[in-house]
Amino acid sequence: MSTAIIDIEHVVKRYEMGDEEVYALRDVSLTIGSNEYVAIMGPSGSGKSTLMNMLGCLDTPTSGKYLFNGANVAEMNDDDLASIRNKEIGFVFQTFNLLPRATSLKNVELPLVYAGVSAEERTRRAQEALARVQLSDRMGHKPNELSGGQRQRVAIARAIVTAPSIILADEPTGNLDTKTGHDIMNLFRDLWKAGNTVILVTHEEDIAQHARRIIRLRDGRIESDITNHNHA
Amino acid sequence: MNILESILLAFDAVRSQKLRSGLTLLSIGIGVFGIISATSIMGALQQAVNGQLADLGENSILIQRTPSINFGTNWAKMRRRKNITYQQAKEFRDKMASTNLIAISNEAPGYTIKAGQLSSNPDVTLIGIDDLYFAVNAVSVSSGRPITESEVNTSRPVVIIGQDIVSSLFPATDPIGQQVTIKTQKFSVIGVLEPKGGVMGQSQDNRVLIPITVFNKYYTWEWDASVDISVKATNSMLLPVTVDEATGIMRSLRNVKPWEENNFELDTNDALTGQFSGFTTALLVVAWISGLGALVAAGIGIMNMMLVSVKERTREIGVRKALGARKSWIVRQFLIESITLCQLGGLTGMIGGIGTSYGVTSLLRSFNMPSITFVFPLGTVIFSVVICTIIGIGFGLYPAWRAANLDPIEALRYE
Repeated sequence: MSTAIIDIEHVVKRYEMGDEEVYALRDVSLTIGSNEYVAIMGPSGSGKSTLMNMLGCLDTPTSGKYLFNGANVAEMNDDDLASIRNKEIGFVFQTFNLLPRATSLKNVELPLVYAGVSAEERTRRAQEALARVQLSDRMGHKPNELSGGQRQRVAIARAIVTAPSIILADEPTGNLDTKTGHDIMNLFRDLWKAGNTVILVTHEEDIAQHARRIIRLRDGRIESDITNHNHA
Repeated sequence: MNILESILLAFDAVRSQKLRSGLTLLSIGIGVFGIISATSIMGALQQAVNGQLADLGENSILIQRTPSINFGTNWAKMRRRKNITYQQAKEFRDKMASTNLIAISNEAPGYTIKAGQLSSNPDVTLIGIDDLYFAVNAVSVSSGRPITESEVNTSRPVVIIGQDIVSSLFPATDPIGQQVTIKTQKFSVIGVLEPKGGVMGQSQDNRVLIPITVFNKYYTWEWDASVDISVKATNSMLLPVTVDEATGIMRSLRNVKPWEENNFELDTNDALTGQFSGFTTALLVVAWISGLGALVAAGIGIMNMMLVSVKERTREIGVRKALGARKSWIVRQFLIESITLCQLGGLTGMIGGIGTSYGVTSLLRSFNMPSITFVFPLGTVIFSVVICTIIGIGFGLYPAWRAANLDPIEALRYE
């Protein structure tokens, strides 16, 4: 394991639902280094979504420490979090979440717009990212003109276009058939082999088996954290 | 790209909710329409009247069958009034104190003046005057000479022409002594009017003066045969006395019973201006209040539309936030969208308002007010753009703020 990108220590996330206090995470500590390929697993209610939101800087812990590349996320304001999400994290969602009215190219350019990159460079980098997911011939298509697998590849291109520290994929194959899902997992493997850090959140065992390290959560705690020697 | 994208999104919102956005845009349109058309028509009227009043000299009284400005008055009753005939006007002149200067005139719009192959615009005002016209009114001759008493009495075919007619008929020659034709009659030019230029952009030089006797012979119709009488009091101290005297003489000449009201109009320069500006101000206030009311109602409609739009695009907002959009970006995007919506409605109202005021001024000109001209209401147009922007921001701010403060996790989960 090389330098730590993510360093979580004794993180607790508590929600108040009416009079009741609900603990989504109870004392989770975790370190993820550069160029790891991690799957986070667990049944629903295990806290896996909360952990993913936390890792993605969409949420901050109630207590505990979260260092992202050494910076304390727990103390950041909304704009700092937005900036970290923009530059350091590439999100891939189960439902793709592309803007329906925009072409593939414009969708991939979007994070660069928020990063303040010039129009020319945006187009160049978006074209490169689409080439990496083998969609150079679909740049002018809108999402409804693409298949599910193609949409997810556009989403992956959008996730990698800013060259983020981590790629955070939430059930990336959940809306795809087995074959297309397999292609997408091959793409993640290629990205990982090219040096990216990939974090998968899934409840599917065979998807998790693609990763090198599998973290299982239960009732807001880490149940197991193992190196997967049989990765696919 | 972001501004353009937001503008396109606004058009999308209009397209996806045709009825609601149609009604909202309509109410913005109506507000802007009301403000623009009222301001523009009132401006044109004001200017026309000022032009007319500009002729009426100081300490002067104008007596006419019907008021020069007739709004809110009983038009049918006005129409039943008998004409002030030239004969009656001359009797009036004889009965008034001899210290007053009294001029009798009549005018008709829409004439074409010809000289050889050349002809003027077809909208020249023809005015029949007597020899005292120049003494009473604030009008004078710059070259040549005025019309004399004997020319009036003997109906000589002489004419004094305004500067606009000089430019179109005699661009290179001295007009004095030349012949012009008005309809079928030939006239010789004896003078040129002092250029008055425009009163607020409207030409005062587009007219010709001929002896009133000639005018009465060839250019009046029964419905328009009534003449105007202008009386110049000796000085401003005597003006009220002169008004009383003139009123009394006119009443007796026109057989008005003591219990009846005047069957003619008698106005002084001040009274006319005051009357008119009082009227226009009242109308403008009403138009502006209802226009602004419509705009506020429209603003609430815009807010509703934007809130629906925020709700429908919750997930998209979540995605944008996940990809790193700051709050200020989201706010800006929705503000641009609501401003675009407002401008879209405002543009409709603007086109309608300008079109209407152009139509109304043309209509008024062809009927009763030869001197009215349409003036492009640039100031009001700018004002409308500004107010639409303010409404777009004012009523878009809350929806934009709501969008910017959505919890990204909730927003991403929104179905």
